[in-house]
Amino acid sequence: MRMYETIFIADPDLQDEVRKDLFEKFKNILVQEGGILANFDDWGNKKLAYEIAKKSRGHYVCMTYGGTGTLITELERNFRLDDKVLKYMTILLEKDVDPEALKQQIDADAKAEAEAKAEAEAAKAEAPKAEEPKAEEPKAEETVEVEAATDEKEEDK
Amino acid sequence: MAFQRRNTKKRFYQRRKVCRFCADSTLEINYKDGKALRPFITERGKIIPRRITGTCAKHQRTLSTAIKQARTIALLPYVGKLS
Repeated sequence: MRMYETIFIADPDLQDEVRKDLFEKFKNILVQEGGILANFDDWGNKKLAYEIAKKSRGHYVCMTYGGTGTLITELERNFRLDDKVLKYMTILLEKDVDPEALKQQIDADAKAEAEAKAEAEAAKAEAPKAEEPKAEEPKAEETVEVEAATDEKEEDK
Repeated sequence: MAFQRRNTKKRFYQRRKVCRFCADSTLEINYKDGKALRPFITERGKIIPRRITGTCAKHQRTLSTAIKQARTIALLPYVGKLS
């Protein structure tokens, strides 16, 4: 299995729902063809360096995934068919990747991200408590403390 | 006489430029970061030769592919405007 990275520029004037459907469609194609999606990065609307299809802005999306050559041909065929995609580019990142190792890494990354999020939330919850201790109810404080404690346990694991 | 004159003419010398990617190994060349590639292209969008920027051969090679990839996906211009 090979690691690829595809950047495509979607139409910037799409409705949010239509855009969501479009992304889902490409994700489905990826899974159908036996690809493993590692990262789906939405860069949002950005200014283009030159006009594409009379448009000076574009919605950038970057996908990192493991797959085979047939997956790329199928994905690019769909990019070409779809009017909502202005441009795309696929780059080979690694020539030989073990699918199992890739899956494990994705899981580990997701876990680390979730932990970081929980930590940030805990910090956020604690910050106002420190600033105005009178305003908060004692019940809320207790729950916050419990959350923080569970977070620490997860980290220990 | 002629020999002497040439010697005096050649006297000026330039400070040796150092490849900034070799000097700082944390710097990465990535086509996704268009802003970081800006110093290596002219206002017109041309790739600046390494004899001017001082980049080493290895890094100039990766740099030029990165710039070309960034151009493909419209992060950098093929033809820049005069500003």
